[in-house]
Formats: sequence, C-alpha cells, structure tokens
Amino acid sequence: MHRRLPPLSIVLGAIGAAFVALPVLGLALRAPWGRIVEILTGPGAGTALQLSLEVSLLATLCSVVFGVPLAWILARGTFRGRATLRALVILPLVLPPVVAGVGLLEALGRSGVVGSWLERIVGIQLTFHTAGAVVAATFVSIPLVVLSAEAGFRSLDPRFEHAAAVLGAKPGYTLRRVILPMVGPQLVAGAVLAWARALGEFGATITFAGNLEGRTQTVPLAVFQRLQTDREGAIALSLVLVAVSICVLVALRDRITGTG
Amino acid sequence: MKPLRVISVAIAMTVLVACASSSSSGTAGSANPGGELTVFAASSLTAAFNQIGTDFEAANPGTTVTFNYGSSTDLAAQVASEGTADVFASASATAMETVAKDPGVRNRTDFATNQLVIITPTDDPAGVSTLQDLTKPGVQLVLGAEGVPVGDYARQMLDENKLTDEVMPNVVSNEPDDASVVAKVQAGEADAGIVYTSDIENNAGVRGVSIPTTQNVIATYPIAVVTGSAHTDLAASFVDYVAGSQGEATLQQDGFGPPPSG
Repeated sequence: MHRRLPPLSIVLGAIGAAFVALPVLGLALRAPWGRIVEILTGPGAGTALQLSLEVSLLATLCSVVFGVPLAWILARGTFRGRATLRALVILPLVLPPVVAGVGLLEALGRSGVVGSWLERIVGIQLTFHTAGAVVAATFVSIPLVVLSAEAGFRSLDPRFEHAAAVLGAKPGYTLRRVILPMVGPQLVAGAVLAWARALGEFGATITFAGNLEGRTQTVPLAVFQRLQTDREGAIALSLVLVAVSICVLVALRDRITGTG
Repeated sequence: MKPLRVISVAIAMTVLVACASSSSSGTAGSANPGGELTVFAASSLTAAFNQIGTDFEAANPGTTVTFNYGSSTDLAAQVASEGTADVFASASATAMETVAKDPGVRNRTDFATNQLVIITPTDDPAGVSTLQDLTKPGVQLVLGAEGVPVGDYARQMLDENKLTDEVMPNVVSNEPDDASVVAKVQAGEADAGIVYTSDIENNAGVRGVSIPTTQNVIATYPIAVVTGSAHTDLAASFVDYVAGSQGEATLQQDGFGPPPSG
C-alpha cells in the first residue's frame, strides 16, 4: 500500500530526521581520522575501553542473574503488589541517572544505609571502586532485562509448563530445560540492550563510583574528562560508542524496527 | 488530518518566530539601558555571584542577570560555541585566555583571589590535620579533574611542595568541579579533598584544614565583557560592579581574597 504523504509531514519529518542525524554527523566530520588509531590505542583510552568492557559485561551478567528470576516472578507470580513491584523495577529506566547515583550513595555509600554496614562488617567499599561502577551500571540496565524477559515469559503458553509438571519435571528443571530455551531470543535481546545501556552509563557512575582512570573511569567518563583538555580525543572515544550503538541496532534490527 | 496540520503549522510558526526574535535582539539590545545579562561564571563563584546579581538588579531596575555556572574550562568552550555570554568570570587566567582568543574580551580585570584548603568530613575519619597527612597510605583523597582549574591548582600546589609522588596514589576520584569535590567529602565517601577556601565558607558539614600561605597556591579570578555581547554597556557596568567595593565586600564575605595589587 503506497499512500501519498502530506508535504508538510514530509518537511517536518525531514527536520526531525536531520536533527537526530546531525550530532552523529558532527562527530564524524570533526573526528581526527588521521590520529584515531593512535588515540584509541594510547594509554588513557585503552584503559578506559578495557574497563568499560569489563564493567558493562559484569553489569549485564548481574542484570541477567537477578533480572530473569525477577521477570519470572512478575510473569507467573500471583501476589498482591505485583504491579507496584513491576513499576519499581522499571523505575531506573526513567529516573535521571544522577538521581540514581545519589540514591546509590545514600544506600550503598560508605555512610549509606546498607553501605556503612557493608564496610564495617564485610569490609567492602563500593564507592571509588570498580565494583561501584558495576553496581551503578547494573542499576540502570536491569529493567531492560526484566522487561524483555517478562514479555517472553508472558508469550509462553502455560500448558508447556503444565505438561512438563505432569511428566514429573521439577519446577527448576522445567525452567532450565523447557522455558528458558523457548524465550532465548527475548533474553538475548534484553541482555544486549542492557549491555548497551551499561556501556553508556555516565551520571550514576560519576556520582556514585567517582572518576579514576583504570578503576572507575569508563569510556563515557573519559569522554567527559577529555573534553576539558583534549577535544579530539573525546571525539575519537565518542565514535567508539557510536559504532557500538550502531552494531547493537543492527544486531537487534528485527526486534527494534519491528516492521522490518 | 486537519488538526494535525494546524498543530504542525503552529510548531513551524513558533520555530520561525523564535529564530526571528533571537536574531533581532542582537541589534536592538545595546540601545536599551536595562535588559537581560547573561554571565558565565566559575562554579566556585556561585554563592557570591548570586548575591551580587541580586544587588546589581536592585541597583539597576529593569535589569535581569542570568548566571551559567560551571567549570571555567567548559564555560570557556561554551562562550565561543554558543555566543550567548555577555560576561565571563573565570577561576583561571588560562580559561580567560581561551575566550580572549575567540571571540575576544574587553574591560578585563582581576577581581578576586582564592586559596586552596584541605577539607575532611566533620568526624575526620582518616586523621588529616596537615598537608603532609595526605601522604598517609589509605587516605581517600578526591581532587578536581585535570583541566578543571581547582584540579590544576591542587596539582600545582602538590607539585610545588614535592608531594605529588606520595599523594597521587591516594587519589580515588577526579571530580568535574569543586562543588562535586565538596559533595563527595560532605557525604563522607572521601576522607579528604582539596578545594578553594571560598567553597567551605557556606558549607557546614565539612571541616577545613588550612594550608600555610608559603605552601599554598593563589588562584586569581579574571572577569571581562565578551566581544559580541549585545549589551556591552550593561555588561561593562556589571564588571565594574563586581570589581568595585560592593562586589569586593560580597566576595570577601564568601571567603575570597582581594585582587592582586598592581
């Protein structure tokens, strides 16, 4: 079906598209292409890239380990307050990251509600440590895993579970061997989105974990800091994140663009 | 279809009107004695300049002063790229030089000085009472990031006292500005930080450990009218006000020192 579009909508749509494309174009045009390899393999950039990879992968792992069971509870559990729990779990998605960082400080910081206890009894300090960056990234990315996995679980016909139960499978076995394989694609999509979000995390990280090269300075923080002294370096690092984002979109194109 | 069209036209009109009015204000503004003044200022000046802004507005009826606070280095880049600043007040000569090159400045004058101070949480968990104490292993120290004036001054001070090698391993975070350094120490996350004396004048919840003048670094604050300002006269009188006796009194209340003599 091919319909003629009203000219005005074409004009406004074109402005909208240009608006979204321009910043990426700006980065590409101003990029120090001749020095880009040199910059990205330089000491500071290499450290930030490696740290970002570690932090984002660990955050994704945590999001999956805790998020998938949570999604299962939300999809199959029948208890009061389920809607409230879901809203709570999705909150980090809409919360300003800096607010998330302040919240994490008050909860898990050295003088925080749980954090002071963590330090005194277990001897763990999250702030200013890589673990803190992982916590911040997990906080903002776990909703993506939960949302995606819950949608997957909901689309499953409960009769599969019943059949497995009738045949004598224990719930854990059913989950591992029947359900998880069927919702695999949704889980992968959720994990990839969570990873991309974790990789781009900035506000909660700098507020909660601080900014130190090799420990908590992930690529977005390195971009921010380099803007002070080395604009070209900041642009080169930004381009890495643009490239990763494009790869994520390509990998998930059917799922995100929908109409294909 | 029709309502959508009306809305679209309305949006397009709004954009056009907005563009038109912003371009016209550039020529009309300088003739008007009152008006709106945009001041880009180092974040360490926040409390003092908010007060000075209120006083200046009271002394010049019909005038509105809007402040944009941040790291002087960031602000210097924004002055060139955005072209909306009438006045720039910097925590370092370096950031002012950036603006002096592009787009240029007039009426430049040094109006205040500031010194560095060590801050700790009120309960001083790491026992920091001297500059030398920052070298104790395990002291969690936060500084301003490199390239941010408060961070550069702190590094310069440590360097001049030959403490860099011993202190830098204790740094746990490089913060985007002095306010963030104070926040991290205030929250009890860090054991110590290095900021300006003016930062703690209004900040309960942190303890100041002064650094002797002989070991300290003096930060000099320049202010100037930005070339291309649409309100040159008003901007110049704001600069005079800040550098004048009333401005100086407010700044000294907030912990700033007088400008360097001569």
